[in-house]
Amino acid sequence: MMVQTPPRDAQFAAKLALAYGEILDGVRPALQRVSLRLSGKGRGGTLELRNTQTNTTEVWQLDSLRLVPDQARADALVLAHLGSGDARLILRDHDAIRALLEACPGLPNLNGSTGFLPKLIALGAAALAALGAILFVLIPFMADRGTDLIPPSAEVNLGRASFERLATALDLRECKSLAGDAALLQMQTRLTEGLTLPFPLQVRVVDDPAVNAFALPGGQIAINSGLIDAAQAPEEVAAVLAHEIGHVVNRDGTRGMLRSIGSFGIVGLMFGDAIGTSAAAGVAQQMISSSYSREAEIAADAFAHRQMTRAGLPPSALGDMFVRMQAQGLGQDMGVFRSIATHPEFQDRIGAAMAADTGAATGAPVADAAGWQALQGICG
Amino acid sequence: MSALKTDFGGDRGDLFTLMLRTSFLTVVTFGIYRFWRTTRLRRWYWSSIRPGGVPLEYTGTPQEKLAGFFVAVIVLALYIALFNLAGLFVAFSLSENDLSYLTFAIGSAPLALVPVILAARYRARRYILSRSTWLGIRFGMDGGAWGYAWRACMYWVLTLATLGLLWPLKTFQLEKYLTDRTWYGTARFHQHGSPFMLYLLALPFYVLGAVIAGVIVLIGLETDTATQGWYALSLPVFAILLLVSGIYFRVASVRAMAGLKELGDGMEFGLEPRTGRLLRIHVFGNLISLILVSFVSPVILGLVVGFLYLIGQVDADAITNTPPNLAGFMAVLTWITVFILYGVFRQVFVTYPTVAHVAETLEVEEPAVLHGIRQRARDNNREAGGFAEALDVGAAF
Repeated sequence: MMVQTPPRDAQFAAKLALAYGEILDGVRPALQRVSLRLSGKGRGGTLELRNTQTNTTEVWQLDSLRLVPDQARADALVLAHLGSGDARLILRDHDAIRALLEACPGLPNLNGSTGFLPKLIALGAAALAALGAILFVLIPFMADRGTDLIPPSAEVNLGRASFERLATALDLRECKSLAGDAALLQMQTRLTEGLTLPFPLQVRVVDDPAVNAFALPGGQIAINSGLIDAAQAPEEVAAVLAHEIGHVVNRDGTRGMLRSIGSFGIVGLMFGDAIGTSAAAGVAQQMISSSYSREAEIAADAFAHRQMTRAGLPPSALGDMFVRMQAQGLGQDMGVFRSIATHPEFQDRIGAAMAADTGAATGAPVADAAGWQALQGICG
Repeated sequence: MSALKTDFGGDRGDLFTLMLRTSFLTVVTFGIYRFWRTTRLRRWYWSSIRPGGVPLEYTGTPQEKLAGFFVAVIVLALYIALFNLAGLFVAFSLSENDLSYLTFAIGSAPLALVPVILAARYRARRYILSRSTWLGIRFGMDGGAWGYAWRACMYWVLTLATLGLLWPLKTFQLEKYLTDRTWYGTARFHQHGSPFMLYLLALPFYVLGAVIAGVIVLIGLETDTATQGWYALSLPVFAILLLVSGIYFRVASVRAMAGLKELGDGMEFGLEPRTGRLLRIHVFGNLISLILVSFVSPVILGLVVGFLYLIGQVDADAITNTPPNLAGFMAVLTWITVFILYGVFRQVFVTYPTVAHVAETLEVEEPAVLHGIRQRARDNNREAGGFAEALDVGAAF
């Protein structure tokens, strides 16, 4: 049942007729006094403003009134009216404020509309897509072109310097023995037969118990003594060496450096405030660089399968080595440098190595018993 | 007409509630809500500043900020990617035997952002002015972000190269550049005065700099180690005094230059922030914030764990033998509460009193000039401070 409210409305109207407000017309910087008359309620209701100086009258629709939000002081109500431009009505009289708020239940905030939302979501999605294209298409593309343009001699020098720096930082000792080096060279020659390398290889064994190997820019390859200790056959070491040669041929060290430095600082743009979201930015940056290297690892694996087969050696040896690495749980990250054991998709890579093996490996062993023994004992 | 005084009428408790709520929403939305937080805080502060009894109004919207931010992220991502790669490529080709070129190039890559940051700050200021009104009339600013950026770069280089001797020149010229491009309605601001007036204010700074240089020379000349030690002991004291005199210069130069600004034909201003007051606010405000965070944050954590215990998610054993997922949850919760609360307390105990103090010293002289001023056209400003937001060089709110 409808409750009749005219007496109450009449009461408000009477009150508001006596109430005054101040208006800023949005044209001149001056407060002007207006007397107010409220008629009706909600939709269809109006607020009449009579300027006491100019004696002009304006009528504002109640459903076009908007509240200017987040006001620091509750002693005044600031109202805008859609269609009246920059004009503002300031009410300070408590009764007038109460009467107006009762006549406009659910008075919306100025600019509080969510009509913008679909547009914003579309713009946000477009921004994310563009950012993805920059990070995963444009930067890899430019890094690859850039790598082709860098003279191999510059990369060789740089690789030598980075190895020295790394060796000092990690306190790596290079292992040498006449027979061991000969066995290693034999392996290297067999795996690179018929290949045109961008620069001469520099393969060495370093004294480090981690089951790992890495390639730096400029043909620098290091195999940890821990990897040789873990291998059950010389072919397994050869497979890892082939993988690292793959990185050298693809110039992954340089490409990776160009890629990760090219993307540096971009992810941080999305996350403003320093402390709260910088952790999220760090995680995102890590995901991007591991996505870059994943690609490089898979390409180096494929290269290893091909070279092993060509040399008459079983590609499955790479898979065997991965199984041993996994068993040792020694997938260590060497920072920006390529390392074969960094990634979680081990199972896929083991499967790929096994699948690449056609069982047609007919060649002689990659090292004879004496050579294999010499390699195993290279670090003394 | 007599000069208009300014009162500041915001309540600290209201600000606390607003800041706490918006900061919490910012964290749980992974930073998206920060555009709403900034907007709401600006509206709040603007409305609390009342020159001549009439509050300022901030009319910017979070939606336009977010849209401007998205565009800025794309433009900046392209710029950074191209610049990083081009710079690295050149350095790579140059560094024949030497890693140090490369290290240097990587280390100095952020310098490429300096002009962009300066331009972004100019544009953010322009955006804020275009969204600020007083007495219903908009402020505004002319274009000129890149002109500002290269001038600022040049003055910075000159200032550093002369060990600070050109600091007052830089301060004055850049402030003049900004002021002369600022409008209120149809009236333009103008910065009077000259850089030389600021040199007097920088005198304490220079004297202390000279004293420190003198002490260092004395230490070098002295052969007796005990005397050297005494000289060296005085250095931290002079260093603190140098810092204070630097802050004094900044505050006093704001004061001096505000007094020499003119709006339209004859409206003048007074702005009298006190160095001592601002120093006290910053020292004690930060101290209080740190102390409160270190008390309140553990209490919140305790309440959360207590609640989990009551609903049976955690048993007493967990205290001595914490399962890893609970430990991880606690770590994240600690991080978030500390982050939110520290920001909230700093807002309430540092930013709030700073704004209040500066605002209360504002005086507007010759307000009769207002009669000749009319509204200015709306500045669409699609960028909406997006570049400053992406580069995180915005103001405190």
